[in-house]
Amino acid sequence: MNKKSSFSTAWERLSNGLIKENPTFVLMLGMCPTLAVTTSAMNGLGMGLTTTVVLMLSNLIISLLRGIIPNRVRIPAFIVIIASFVTAVQLLLEAYIPSLNEALGMYIPLIVVNCIILGRAESYAYSNPPIPSLFDGIGMGLGFAFALTCIGAVRELLGAGTVFDYPIMPDSYTPINIFILAPGAFFVLAALTAFQNYLKITRERVGKEARHIGSGCSEDCMNCADSGCTKRFYDTTGGKQSDIEVIDMEKEEK
Amino acid sequence: MSITGIVTAAAVVSAVGIFVGLFLGAAGIRFKVEVDEKEEAVLAALPGNNCGGCGFAGCSGLAAAIAKGEAPVNACPVGGEAVGKKIAEIMGVNAESSERQVAYVHCQGDCEKAGTDYEYHGAEDCRMLSFVPNGGPKSCNSGCLGYGTCVKVCPFDAIHVVKGVAVVDKEKCKACGKCIAVCPKHLISLIPYSTKQIVACSSTDKGPVTMKACQVGCIGCGICAKVCPKEAVTVENFHATIDSAKCVGCGACEQKCPKKAIVRA
Amino acid sequence: MESVKDLLIILIGSSLVSNVVLSQFLGLCPFLGVSRKIKTAAGMGTAVIFVITLASAVAGVIYKFVLQPFHIEYLQTIVFILVIAALVQFVEMFLRKAMPALYEALGVYLPLITTNCAVLGVALTNVQKEYGILTGIVNGFATALGFTIAIVILAGLREKMEYNDVPEVFRGMPMVLLTAGLMAIAFCGFSGLL
Repeated sequence: MNKKSSFSTAWERLSNGLIKENPTFVLMLGMCPTLAVTTSAMNGLGMGLTTTVVLMLSNLIISLLRGIIPNRVRIPAFIVIIASFVTAVQLLLEAYIPSLNEALGMYIPLIVVNCIILGRAESYAYSNPPIPSLFDGIGMGLGFAFALTCIGAVRELLGAGTVFDYPIMPDSYTPINIFILAPGAFFVLAALTAFQNYLKITRERVGKEARHIGSGCSEDCMNCADSGCTKRFYDTTGGKQSDIEVIDMEKEEK
Repeated sequence: MSITGIVTAAAVVSAVGIFVGLFLGAAGIRFKVEVDEKEEAVLAALPGNNCGGCGFAGCSGLAAAIAKGEAPVNACPVGGEAVGKKIAEIMGVNAESSERQVAYVHCQGDCEKAGTDYEYHGAEDCRMLSFVPNGGPKSCNSGCLGYGTCVKVCPFDAIHVVKGVAVVDKEKCKACGKCIAVCPKHLISLIPYSTKQIVACSSTDKGPVTMKACQVGCIGCGICAKVCPKEAVTVENFHATIDSAKCVGCGACEQKCPKKAIVRA
Repeated sequence: MESVKDLLIILIGSSLVSNVVLSQFLGLCPFLGVSRKIKTAAGMGTAVIFVITLASAVAGVIYKFVLQPFHIEYLQTIVFILVIAALVQFVEMFLRKAMPALYEALGVYLPLITTNCAVLGVALTNVQKEYGILTGIVNGFATALGFTIAIVILAGLREKMEYNDVPEVFRGMPMVLLTAGLMAIAFCGFSGLL
């Protein structure tokens, strides 16, 4: 493996996680912590970085052990590995950054059941070599951290007039408290998803490929919450055809 | 750094893990359910996107029904013929080459041909219109309301509202039955793909009432029944029905119908 | 041992005042995903009540008799999640064999509950608030009850909203999230109860 290709794979993994397949904005995974800890930009950043560390390490170890873990017990194995790292990180935070530990509270151990970590382990780390997996973890984690910080900044700005505890809004601004509380999280996420839908619709109108935006498609039409889905109209093979083939089919039809 | 702490921790977690593993293994044996191999094979052959088009609870529901013999092997509208053949092989039966069926909306009273009693502004859903006077703004009580609830539920983009009535695209329709279930006026039914003539009206109102409501409504005059050489047409309740088993597609009824209510399907 | 009055307070507190979904944000994935029809939502809710009550009981027992004596409370995350995953697996096997009718109704939701934050969240809350085993069970039951209430209400709202003409950009997930947000505001009103 020559150095250049491994460097470019690493960079590709990083940018993938940050932009192309951003876990929050594009894949829409890990909603629980997204809504719960983004009461301020600092909390969002802290949670994001903690998740990055866990994701990085778990991806690396799972990738290293992928030859040994049998297929049938892979999910429990993943969970144990991830839980161990989460416990370690939690104890470290308790010792060295107690303020962050206080702020995040119960949501640090809940990183274990964060869909992003299990999802990346299952879809990437289990079938790829260690170094790309490591960078995939870093990329996804940083993407998540970026998303959380943005959402946290918006909520903090509207709800308290500050960003990172630095006052931004003028004194005449009355903070809209609801954005710091639970309902505000739902509203901000709704706005975010609506914006994503808007992007998807405008892209489709122009004829560009927009299927990858915000799908999180579980290929389970019956239980799916997405009523604006275009996939179920045309993909009558039940998702078994790869996305690439379906796109070509559409091009032929045109 | 005390070694005892590390050893205790490792020992307890390993013990819990081993206990859990043994417990699940034992439970797996004790609670073993005889899984039908055929059912698993059928499930693997199905597309797997749980669209519900077959009428069962997802692909696993259909696989279970097929394995028990409660559903025909070609019940999956998405998989179609190809999947039907594969499942027939698995189940060891001949795929009944049943005739392909498509949905048909028995109404052609579009904006130009059918009258309206009043202007309606409100929820644009055919089901909601059961709450408004006369079951909707259309003069004919049995007509297609044209607000497209059927369009919203069709997973195959096979039905559209054209000039105020719903029209099924025969080629795209997979006979999944969702539009049939959702139409509040019960206007849609399954007909064989090869149907030639069909009565495009569901009105059971008396002749003069129908004529006032719609230009192309069936008035129950009975001319079609008289001219049919195969006695395939019956007129009941001021409404004609064509029996597709007897119909040979000669087109006599279509020609003779004074209201042009019988059309080519 | 808590008195009945304390248990009642926990019951109301965990189900309504600090509702697990609308206040603590646990269990969002099934909340948003399985709330299209009232029937499926009720099924999911029942399955959740079943699993969480059992899980809090087992987690409480393990904490008291295994983790505390050996002074390894810090391993609670790992042990709890292992036990919960095993428990759900076992419940699924048991239901499939012993009560097939119930399995038909609930079985589909059980795997979804394993990685549901709510189950682990309840177990950890019980430890954090230092509840005994019985109190922990009541807390677990109350939490799951709150989840069921929330998800059934949302399903009812979504069924009613099916007829509405939603702006294209808001169709689907944004609408559901807005509805959930309004529900969260409504549930804030319960904070005066206790």
